[in-house]
Amino acid sequence: MITRRNRAMVEFVLDNLVWFLLAFVLVVFSALVPNFFQTGIFVNIIESSTMVGVMAIGLAIVIIAGNMDLSVESTAALSAMVTGILFCSHGIGIGWTLTPEWLALPVSLVIALAVGTVIGYLNGLLVVKLKMDAFIVTLASYIWVRGAVVALSGGRSAQDLAPTIRFIGIDTFLGIPLIAWLAIAGFVVFTFIMAKTPFGRHITMIGGNRAATFRAGIAVDKLVWISFLLAGAIAGFAGWLLAIRTSGASAGLGVGMLFQAFAAVVIGGVSLKGGVGRLPGVYAGVLLLHSIQTAINLMGMPAHYTQMILGTLVLAAVLLDTIKLTIRRKLT
Amino acid sequence: MNSIRRLLLASIAITAFGVATPTFAESKGTIYYMVPTLLDEFQTESVSAIEKFLKDVGYDVKTLNADNKTDLQQSQMNDTILLKPAAIVLAAVDFNALQPSIEKARAAGIPVMEFDRQITATPSDFTSVAGTVEIGHVAGDEIQRLLKEKKGAVKGKILQVLGDPSDPYTLDIQKGFEEKMKAFPDVKIISLPAANWEASNAGTIVADQLVANPDIDLIFVHAAHLAVAAVASLEAKGKKPGDVMLVSSNGAPVGLDLIRKGWENVEVEQPLYAQAAALAMFADKVVKKQEIKAGNYKVLGLDSVVTIEKWGPNIKIPGAAITKANVDEARFWGNLKAPADKVTPVE
Repeated sequence: MITRRNRAMVEFVLDNLVWFLLAFVLVVFSALVPNFFQTGIFVNIIESSTMVGVMAIGLAIVIIAGNMDLSVESTAALSAMVTGILFCSHGIGIGWTLTPEWLALPVSLVIALAVGTVIGYLNGLLVVKLKMDAFIVTLASYIWVRGAVVALSGGRSAQDLAPTIRFIGIDTFLGIPLIAWLAIAGFVVFTFIMAKTPFGRHITMIGGNRAATFRAGIAVDKLVWISFLLAGAIAGFAGWLLAIRTSGASAGLGVGMLFQAFAAVVIGGVSLKGGVGRLPGVYAGVLLLHSIQTAINLMGMPAHYTQMILGTLVLAAVLLDTIKLTIRRKLT
Repeated sequence: MNSIRRLLLASIAITAFGVATPTFAESKGTIYYMVPTLLDEFQTESVSAIEKFLKDVGYDVKTLNADNKTDLQQSQMNDTILLKPAAIVLAAVDFNALQPSIEKARAAGIPVMEFDRQITATPSDFTSVAGTVEIGHVAGDEIQRLLKEKKGAVKGKILQVLGDPSDPYTLDIQKGFEEKMKAFPDVKIISLPAANWEASNAGTIVADQLVANPDIDLIFVHAAHLAVAAVASLEAKGKKPGDVMLVSSNGAPVGLDLIRKGWENVEVEQPLYAQAAALAMFADKVVKKQEIKAGNYKVLGLDSVVTIEKWGPNIKIPGAAITKANVDEARFWGNLKAPADKVTPVE
């Protein structure tokens, strides 16, 4: 017979399993990997997690709502390229300056968000109004948007982002780069939205049982559309951060990030079937991936080991998810 | 009825005009250029250069982008063979995997010219390269010089950031570079690949290594767009231009800009324009299946050597080291000033 207290403890461990896993991995790497245990490396992990982390927020929202968005990587790349072209002074950058100069920061952010929102709007339109399959719609967007990046840039790069924007990638607050604080803020805000607002609860309900949610009088189509819109806008934000971190944009920027974001979402405990998942877990998943990547960098191992470990981790996460469900069933 | 008659007469008139009008510039045929990707500036500029120079000598050019996918490039080769073009210019995604496609094209009577990426496992009709291993050699020489100037001897710690670990191009540069550095045991080289040639991956590697190995003297990245991300990471760590030396390869515009700003010391350029011009110079001989003679040739003013190798005629054009002293010279493709002079075919 399991006591109520023990059950609560088991539930807590299951809910936060990925955080425990992250702590375990960090301890092991600190003990075994030379040069790993130092503040600078932990800061690097948080910083390098920024773009995939932000991208994963939008992706997780769409997946929790029971859909799929494969376009986030290309959307981020397009947003980075537009930011680069407008606000970089070298390469294909046109070096657009505003008066006063600080205006470049909000204007570039709004433009990046707008680029993402437009693509999210189109995805939502096709999925909700034309009842097309989200996987196919966003796969098409993944392809055409990357094509748009290449067409827009002509395969060339923009570099030297305006200092009034670039400082976000350089300056720190409490030793952590501002860019990483923005990602953390993103997680805090959307964790609140998903957990504490009707919107978040309805999105989770739609992913869990769409028909029942509809019968409960909730505007399912509208909310699904908003989830795509949000995913697009957040991907646009990720692209803006990407341009800031690399001080520009190249046609191949962000390639491979979609799969990292997917891996983080799954490792973070979001069910691909929808209706289950919490954003703090996703952030832990991103940090876990980047901790492994950093350890591999420090050990000087070839990059394909990261991919092998990533694949194994995703499988392990799905397996853990099944085990968690079994344990939960036994608890009830 | 009247309208049908008018339409018929108009058609006859148009046809007659077409027959009577002389062709202004008769094409010698269509050459297909198989570009491996359009995600980097070298490849993008290679399309413009090859189209320009081959047009100068009378060929139409059609370009197919393989998007860095070997299987896609193989399919493109198969499709193109069916179209029976005058020749194919191939910049292979994968040096070995394209070998059967080259053999198939040549068996069908279609000459194949290799551009930039040398394939030695099977004969081709012409190869125009700077030599990827040689780029590594030039980088090695320059890095030895830089270390000697800074530290009085060839010693120190180098971070080498490769491109995607599955790309033979980056592995060849690594091979050439490490061959040159083998003679210096006091040089420690840390080599890490940036997956997918993705810039932020290179930035992360540099950021991690600057923390783990703060005594890094020099960073060698295998493409200029990776150098941009490397500089962003250096800047984020509070470094100033010159604090850590930086060498890059391929000679892209962004690399040249970094030299001008003092962040980068040397860019090893691939002589893109000359490589493309060489294809045009020998295109007639290749298409007509005439003999190409070994010897010295001037390609856009650069001394180049044609040798007859077991994989066919091979022109090697020397790559150059670009520094602050010569960065503005128009001959470097990174300045994007394609030579206006027309190429003359070799007789």
